[in-house]
Amino acid sequence: MADLALERAQTVARAPRRPVRWNTILTYALLIFGAVLALGPFIWMVSSSLMSSAEIAAGRLFPAVPIFQNYPDAWNAANLGLFMWNSVRVTALTVAGELLVCVPAAYAFARMRFFGRDVLFGIMLATIMVPAIATLIPNFLTVVWLSRLSESIFGEAGKWMDNWPALTIPFIATPFSIFLLRQFFAQLPAELWDAARIDGAGHVRFLRSVVIPLSRAPIMTVAMFSFISSWNALMWPLLVVQTDAWRPIAFGLQKFVNSDAPNELHLQMAGAVLMILPMVILYFFTQKQFTEGIAQSGLKG
Amino acid sequence: MASTSYRPISRRRRVLVENLTAYAFLLPAGVLIFLFGLFPVAFAFFVSLYRWRRFPDEYVGLTNYERALGDFSHVLFFWLSLAALLYGGWLLWRLLRQIVTTPGQRRALLYLIPGVVLAAAPLLMVRWGGVLLPVIMNIPRRLRGQQETQGMFVNELFASFRFPEVLDAGNVMLGIMLLGVLLALLFTRWLKHAALMWRATAALLALGTGALLMQLTLDTINAAIASAREAGETLPIWTQIILISAGFGLLGAAYWLWGRALRQPGDRRFIGLAFVAVTAVLGAYLLIAELPRVLASADRDMLTGFNITIMYALFTVPFQLAIGLGLAYLLFQNLKGKTLFRMIFFLPYIMPFIATSIVFSLLFSHRQESIINNLVGAVGIAPQKWLLEPLGVGRLILGESVPPFLTGPSLALIVVIIYTVWTYAGYATVVFLAGLGNIPGELYEAARIDGAGGWQIFRRLTLPLLSPTTFFLVLVAVIGTFQAFTQLWIMRTPAAGRSIDTVSIYIFRQITDADPSYSYGAALAFVLFGVILLLTFVQNRIAGRRVFYG
Repeated sequence: MADLALERAQTVARAPRRPVRWNTILTYALLIFGAVLALGPFIWMVSSSLMSSAEIAAGRLFPAVPIFQNYPDAWNAANLGLFMWNSVRVTALTVAGELLVCVPAAYAFARMRFFGRDVLFGIMLATIMVPAIATLIPNFLTVVWLSRLSESIFGEAGKWMDNWPALTIPFIATPFSIFLLRQFFAQLPAELWDAARIDGAGHVRFLRSVVIPLSRAPIMTVAMFSFISSWNALMWPLLVVQTDAWRPIAFGLQKFVNSDAPNELHLQMAGAVLMILPMVILYFFTQKQFTEGIAQSGLKG
Repeated sequence: MASTSYRPISRRRRVLVENLTAYAFLLPAGVLIFLFGLFPVAFAFFVSLYRWRRFPDEYVGLTNYERALGDFSHVLFFWLSLAALLYGGWLLWRLLRQIVTTPGQRRALLYLIPGVVLAAAPLLMVRWGGVLLPVIMNIPRRLRGQQETQGMFVNELFASFRFPEVLDAGNVMLGIMLLGVLLALLFTRWLKHAALMWRATAALLALGTGALLMQLTLDTINAAIASAREAGETLPIWTQIILISAGFGLLGAAYWLWGRALRQPGDRRFIGLAFVAVTAVLGAYLLIAELPRVLASADRDMLTGFNITIMYALFTVPFQLAIGLGLAYLLFQNLKGKTLFRMIFFLPYIMPFIATSIVFSLLFSHRQESIINNLVGAVGIAPQKWLLEPLGVGRLILGESVPPFLTGPSLALIVVIIYTVWTYAGYATVVFLAGLGNIPGELYEAARIDGAGGWQIFRRLTLPLLSPTTFFLVLVAVIGTFQAFTQLWIMRTPAAGRSIDTVSIYIFRQITDADPSYSYGAALAFVLFGVILLLTFVQNRIAGRRVFYG
C-alpha cells in the first residue's frame, strides 16, 4: 500500500502528465518547430557554403551541385590556416592557465581555513558585477604599460602587445569560474578529507588525487567556458594586436567578410563553417556535462 | 607509512602552515583578479578625471562627466557625495549613541583617535597612488626619442618612486600608516573593544570619501558657474540641483505614503493618505520635468546610445525568456528525445557570434531574392533592406507622419534583436529546465487532487516556484544586453548609420576612433556601470517582493 503510494508519487514527481494524446502530438510539433528554427541557420550555413556566390544571392535553399572546392578556396583566400593556428595557440594557453590558476584558488576558498577568507571571497564575488566594458580602457592602458616594462626586461620576445601575453594573461583568472568550482568542491563530503589526512596526505595531494578526479564535470564546464570566450574573442584582440602573427580567427573572418572579399559570399560561408567546426566537435563530446554545468550555475545564481 | 614519521605538531604551527598553503593557492588568481578586475575600476575613475589621449595630460576634474551628462553630472555627483556623507554620519551617530548610552563605556570615545588615523591611511594611500600613476604611465613618453637600451624602462620605474611629489605623498602615507598600526595595537591592548575601533574607522572613512567627493563636485560646479559668467550667461546649477532633488524626494515620500495608505484599515484614512501621495507625485512630476532641460547639454550621441540600448533590452529580454520558458515547459514532460532537443536548442548559444552573425546578415540580406525577403514575401510584405535600414519600424509600418516616440527601433536593430533572441533562447531553456526539475513533484500531485487544471497549475504553482530562476535569467539577460558588443559590431553597416550603436559600441568607438579619448571613454564606461548597478539594485528590490524562495 505504502509502496504503491510512493511509486505513484515518484511517477508524478517526474512531470505533470497530460492525459490526452493530442497534447503529446502538439508538444512534439512545437518542439520540432523550435528545433527547425534553432537549426535552420546552421543547415543553411552548411548548404550555402557548398553553393556558388550567385546561388546564395539568388536566395537558393540548396545548391544545384555541391561545390566542395569552396572550403580549400576559403581556407587559402582568407588565410584561415594562420588565424586558426593563432586561435588554437591562444585558446590552449588560456584554458591551461585558467585551470592551473582557478582550481587551486577555488579549492582554497572551499576547503581551507585562513585569515580573511570570507572577505576575500566577497571581494572576488563583487568583481563579477563589474562589466567588461568598464574595465576595457584601464586594462588596455595597463597592458600597454606592462608590455613596455616586460620588453625592457626580457627584450623583444617579452612584449605583451602583439604577442600572446596580452591575449591570454588578463583572461586566466575568472572570478566566475572560481565561484563555480568552489560551489562544487564545497559539496564534497568531509569524510574524504578526514580519510586522506589519516593516510598522511596534505592539501596538495588531496586536491590532486581526490578532488580533481571527482570534479571532472565542473572542471570541464569551466574549461569549456574559457574555450568559448577565447575562441570567440573579438573586442580585446582588436585593441591589443596589430599584426597578423597573433590575430585570432574571429578577427580573420571578420576582416575577410568586411574588407577582403565582401562579394564572395560562398567563401564567407565556407569560412564560417570552418570556424565553428572545432566548436561543434568539442560540443558533441562534452555536451552532457557542459549543459548540466550551465544549468546548475544558473540555479545557484 | 605516514605514521612512522608522525610527530606531534603544535596547533599554532598547523594553523600557520594551513594559512600559508591557502595563500600560496590563492596568490596567482589573487594577483590577476586584482590587476585586471579590481584595480581597473579605480583606475578607470582616475583616467576619467584627466584629459588622457595616449598618455595622461592634465587633471580636468569632472569635465568628462559634464561632457557626457551635461548639467545632470552636477546633480548626480552632488547626490553621490551627499549619500556618502550621510551614510558616514549615520554610522558615526549610531556609534556615538551606543557609546554614550552604555554606562561605563565613555572611555570608548577614545577609539575615535585611532579611528581618524586608520581612516586617513587608505585615503592617503589612494592619494599616493593618484600621484604615482601619472608619473609611471608617462614613462614611455619620457623615453620617447631616446636611444632605448634594455633595462631603461625599469630604471625609470624605480626613479618614479623618487620623484619629489611621489616621495612626499609616500612618506606621509607611510607615517600615518605606521602611526595607525601603533595606535591600533596600543588601544586594543588597553581597551578591550576592537570592534568599536573598526566601526569608528568605517564611519570616518565614509565621511572622508564623501567630503573629498563633495570637494570635487563643488570645485567643478564653481568652475562651471565662473566660466558661464565670463561668457555673460548665468548657470542655474544650484536651482537645478534643489529642484530635481526635491522632485525625487517627493517621489520617494509618495512611495512611502502609498505603502502606508495600503496598510490603513479605514477607508477615510486610506483616501486621505492616498490623496497626499498622489499630490506628492504630481509635485514630483512638475519638478522632475526640469530633468530634460538639465540633460539638454548632455552628449546627444550618448543619449541616443542609451535609447537604443534600452530598446534592444526591452525587445530582447521578454521574448527570449518567454520562448525559453515555453520550450522548457514542453521539454519537461517525459518525452523521448529530450536530451537531443535540449542539445539542439542550446547549439546557437555556444557557437561563435562571428560565424552565426555572418549567416544572419546573409539570411537578412537586402537583396530582393534573399531567404527572408522571400519568406516575408510569401505573407505579402514588400522586400525590406533589413540590416541596411536605419528607419524605425514604427515609421515603416505607419508611414512618414508617425510621432517620434512611436518610431521604435530601426529595422536593422530588429534583425539584431531577432539574432540575439535566437542565440539566447536556448540558454534560457536549459536554465529553466533545471529550475523546473527543482520543483518538488508532490506539489503537482496535491494541486491535481485539488482539481486544478493544466493552466491553473502553470499559473499558480509553476510560475511562482520558478521565480528565482526567472529573476536570475532576467538579471543576466538585461546585463548581457547592456554589455553586448560582438554581434552589434559585426552587424553594423554604413547604410544603417548609427541606428544600432548601443552605449557599448559608442564607448568602443571612443578608443578606436582616429582621435581617441581614453578619458572620455572611461567616463562613459563609468556612467554605463552606474546604470547597470542601478538596474541590478532596482531588480533586487522588485524581486524582494515578488520572488518566492520556496
